[in-house]
Amino acid sequence: MRTLTPVASYPVCPIVSFELCRQASNKLFFPCNISENLAKASRVHKTYQLKAGFWESIKSGILNNNTTQVVEPPSTLPEEEEEPLPQEFVLIEKTEPDGTVEEIIFSSGGDIDVYDLQALCDKVGWPRRPLSKLAAALKNSYMVATLHSVRKSPGSEGNDQKKLIGMARATSDHAFNATIWDVLVDPGYQGQGLGKALVEKLIRALLQRDIGNISLFADSQVVEFYQNLGFEPDPEGIKGMFWYPKY
Amino acid sequence: MEISAAAATAAAAAMPMHVVEGHTTKKTMELKWVSRRSRGGKIQMEKTMKTPLESKPKAPATLQALVPVFISTNPSHVNPDDLSDLFIACNLSCHRFPNYVDAGGGRCVVEAVDLHKLRVALSHSSVLVSVFCKPNDVIGCSSSSSSCLKEKQQQQQKKKIVGFGELLQNVVMPVTPLNSQLVGFGRAVSDLGLTASIYDVMVLPSLRGMGIGRMIVKRIIRMLTSRDIYDIAALCSENERSFFEVCGFGDDILGSTAMMYTRSSVSTNPQDNQIVKPAGRKLLLVPPLSKTSPYSKTMKS
Repeated sequence: MRTLTPVASYPVCPIVSFELCRQASNKLFFPCNISENLAKASRVHKTYQLKAGFWESIKSGILNNNTTQVVEPPSTLPEEEEEPLPQEFVLIEKTEPDGTVEEIIFSSGGDIDVYDLQALCDKVGWPRRPLSKLAAALKNSYMVATLHSVRKSPGSEGNDQKKLIGMARATSDHAFNATIWDVLVDPGYQGQGLGKALVEKLIRALLQRDIGNISLFADSQVVEFYQNLGFEPDPEGIKGMFWYPKY
Repeated sequence: MEISAAAATAAAAAMPMHVVEGHTTKKTMELKWVSRRSRGGKIQMEKTMKTPLESKPKAPATLQALVPVFISTNPSHVNPDDLSDLFIACNLSCHRFPNYVDAGGGRCVVEAVDLHKLRVALSHSSVLVSVFCKPNDVIGCSSSSSSCLKEKQQQQQKKKIVGFGELLQNVVMPVTPLNSQLVGFGRAVSDLGLTASIYDVMVLPSLRGMGIGRMIVKRIIRMLTSRDIYDIAALCSENERSFFEVCGFGDDILGSTAMMYTRSSVSTNPQDNQIVKPAGRKLLLVPPLSKTSPYSKTMKS
């Protein structure tokens, strides 16, 4: 039996394996159909690309040895459209005196339970909105960033308590404009920089795709919060207006 | 009256257009008439061809410079190259803070739109509205709009009273996206659940003041409300504000403030490695990865 050797540093590309299979026996190493594998491979390929960028930026952040500003030219998009690749990582980890470990996990995969979100909106005192509309809005948002708290008690293996504690989402036309809506953090977890982390992640993801018009509509009590994050109210006289039906 | 006879004929000669109304996803294309006198509001003569039985022609005081325009919500009618030309003609940019280039003679115009990005933006817009007009009418209107004296303008308009022959020509060879010029545009981006934002509403300068812009915004709103979206926002500059007010927009009753990300640099420390991204004439700072997070463990990709 012929073993497949990886071509590059990426995992075995099905294209290569297909060729080898044809030359060798009729045995296919990938039982499922090739086109599906090709799609999977391209997705895996892109994930590896993201990981490379992710670790590069962490390295550069830690090393701190560059002195000048790096102006990234507008990135050349590949032919096919890609949604922002979902990330998930631990933002903060705390160990309590009794040994319970609490992790705050950031996720941009949009994996969110609408009922949990409704409960969180109630907690922060927002008016109720129809669940179906909420679900549709989440599904059609460009990016939904969430924060979950996972508590692991010592000894109770596999009995993790997972709770939604924060969310922010952005709608966009994927090219020029984006609007950030619905930024909320559980009142019990506010004041720790979690809201800031959520918004900064959104901005990061949007700017990586050269989406430069990032806007939002801030309630009066949070204008200062967003100013600290780099937002300017009514820049150059640009104002937000809303439609009011006149019956 | 001359016009009502012609209108009846036009209405009877049913246009071979796909004009199914009712289902929200069906695209509607309509022929409309706009008049230069519409500035007053009440005198505008508007006839929709979609349901001749329902058409309510308002009694026109005088027929002056009636121009047939074709309004479409079909995304396939939008040609990115034509749209890019319209952007240039209106001196608008997709960037909120555009770069200006010297066009000679002391004029500063916005730089051209990136066509690839424009295509991406169009394909991800929930609503696209485009308005077309026959090139002859565009030229005719631009010549009359160049006059500055009111009397001179009225004199010129009197010469353009629409005759029966012209109306018949519009019936036989109606305005369609194929034989006409893109003169107006507007789009909206929505999450199709709760909110929507309107962007890039524009009308060729020579055809302004005829109600085309209002028509575009009204159509966008209609498309959104038919999908049960009532939270419709628009970011507008100083000179666009009165236009949107006329279209039924106002300041947020909840008193929210529109804000945009404009940070370009946060650190004076030359040691910091800062990444910035160009957006028009702004260089926006990409928020650095937080150094305070103890560690980042990639859990799943």
